[in-house]
Amino acid sequence: MICNMKKATDDQKIHMAEAVFRESWISIKANKLRSFLTTLGIIIGVCAVVIMVAAGQTVSNMINESLAGMGSNLLIIRPEFVATAGVKGSGMTIIRTDDADVIKKIKHISAVSPMVNGAGQLVYGNENYAGSIVATTPDYLSTGNWEIEKGSMFTDRDVKAASSYIVIGKTIAKELFHDENPLGKTMRIKNVPFIVKGILKSKGQGMGGMDQDDTVLMPITTYRRRVQGTNIPNRVNYIMAQVDNENNIERATKLIENALRESRRLKPTADNDFRIDNMTEIQETMRSVGTYLSILLASIASISLIVGSIGIMNMMLVSVTERTREIGIRKAIGAKNSSIMGQFLTESILISFIGSMVGMILGIALSQIAGAVLDKNVPISLITVIISFSVAIIVGISSGLFPAIKATKLDPIEALRYQ
Amino acid sequence: MAKKVIEVKNLYKTYFMEGGNSYPVLKDINFTIHEGEFVAIMGPSGSGKSTLMNTLGCLDKPTSGTYEIDEQIVSSMNDDQLAEIRNKKIGFVFQGFNLLMKRTLLDNVCIPLIYSGYNLSCQHEKAKNMLEHVGLGKFIDRLPNQISGGMQQRVAIARALINEPTLILADEPTGNLDTKTSIEIMNLFTELNKEGKTIVLVTHEPDIANYANRLIYILDGVLHYDGKVSEFKGKK
Repeated sequence: MICNMKKATDDQKIHMAEAVFRESWISIKANKLRSFLTTLGIIIGVCAVVIMVAAGQTVSNMINESLAGMGSNLLIIRPEFVATAGVKGSGMTIIRTDDADVIKKIKHISAVSPMVNGAGQLVYGNENYAGSIVATTPDYLSTGNWEIEKGSMFTDRDVKAASSYIVIGKTIAKELFHDENPLGKTMRIKNVPFIVKGILKSKGQGMGGMDQDDTVLMPITTYRRRVQGTNIPNRVNYIMAQVDNENNIERATKLIENALRESRRLKPTADNDFRIDNMTEIQETMRSVGTYLSILLASIASISLIVGSIGIMNMMLVSVTERTREIGIRKAIGAKNSSIMGQFLTESILISFIGSMVGMILGIALSQIAGAVLDKNVPISLITVIISFSVAIIVGISSGLFPAIKATKLDPIEALRYQ
Repeated sequence: MAKKVIEVKNLYKTYFMEGGNSYPVLKDINFTIHEGEFVAIMGPSGSGKSTLMNTLGCLDKPTSGTYEIDEQIVSSMNDDQLAEIRNKKIGFVFQGFNLLMKRTLLDNVCIPLIYSGYNLSCQHEKAKNMLEHVGLGKFIDRLPNQISGGMQQRVAIARALINEPTLILADEPTGNLDTKTSIEIMNLFTELNKEGKTIVLVTHEPDIANYANRLIYILDGVLHYDGKVSEFKGKK
């Protein structure tokens, strides 16, 4: 092989870059323990960020999933706390089915469902199950964001007639009927017989991990007459009202307020004896809680990343001082400042790159294992990969730049004298 | 007449201290060195010979005057150009050998080639040949601390020769060696000179200077003597 120098300058530059890279790699290998410990700092930092981002996103996803279980553009009308016998907040006003009828006539309101919640033992044949009972109107399909999988919902006529038709959730269908088709079958709720008219589509876990599919829907009238024994007829727990359009929520709220004040015969000076909660607002707040949580967790984890990058800078500074003489020799022999700079920068970038990649893989692996153990779906997001790569470059350059500049500034005469 | 390798004209080097004091270290130095010469630079401590050496080696810039290597004016070059001159035109041999102690002899000899942009196989081939040339062909994979001082200096000489420089600049090359090894190293320089290499040797030992054919004697920053070694009457 003939090695002459009459080659293209581009080739020379590539060979020089290769050689500088090789020199960096050799010096990383020469101090194995030190390089490993420094890399470990970055590994832990990136790993922590990746895990925290995954945790934040998992929580966000859980919040979003359970919010998706609610209908959209909802207003909830609840009883208000009032003072009884001079003690504030000790009593509550009453919301009635009549209020729901008033709301139903208001413009922009597309669905209204008065709600009474209860619980009771459900029996079919030899099987029994403790389910939750929701007594309402057919509009609840829309306000509660439910869908019918099989059969159909009971109708407004069923509500008027207080008929014995019910719609059951997926869990109840499974627990009570197993492989049997529940449609048309008679089951008992608190010893009252009911006929299954429909089965709801599964919604899965709701907020707080509660099963939402153990629900029985029945006409509110039927519940009052045949299941509940109450001395306040017409009382409901709350009313859900759905607005036709997001932009009309505020207007609808005002209309409901006015209509209810009128129908409840409140004096102009009196406070409202009911509350209207805007669920859309609450949903937004909860979604942003998820986002902020992710950011908070990632920022806390990035502190360890900063510590890791200080570790690299520290190592590089020590390395430059230790190798002052080597730098002098290299410069005397013809290394340009750019070559010296390149060698030290490459070293810190290599360390942070290796650290980031290992940290990313470790972080993804650990968060997936944690997800499997906790039975949660932990997402692997693009953000994680982007973070890891940008950390690799940014930390490598920022913590290597100062030591590398220090190395290039060394005077070769002085450096050669250094012992 | 042989080609000019070095030409120094009206060279001054002055150090400016804080507080406005200035110390002239080299004053109006003039000389020319031609291809194939073997020149010794001598002078007592503090005479300015180290500064002259650093200037000739392109590690330091003169305050005024011109300095040419191979008819290129070095005195006005920037850092990168100087680095390239040091890489291609000058082969350094230092008193303390200045090898990279954690690297093999082969790697050490390869370093100048890295900065000239040779690929790895070329580097190794050339370095191997050069180590064989200085009689260390069997030791290419050893580390510097596994061989003797004399051998280390041979490695340094191999490193200096690897890029086929115009000039070999040796700063007290035998200062860390015993007499016997010193003689070996000086014989190697003589041999290289016979092969046509131009050698500039800085030393304070008259015995070592005797290997050269020409002597430049610096005293108090001034060129005091420039002529044949044998005709120098000594100045102590």
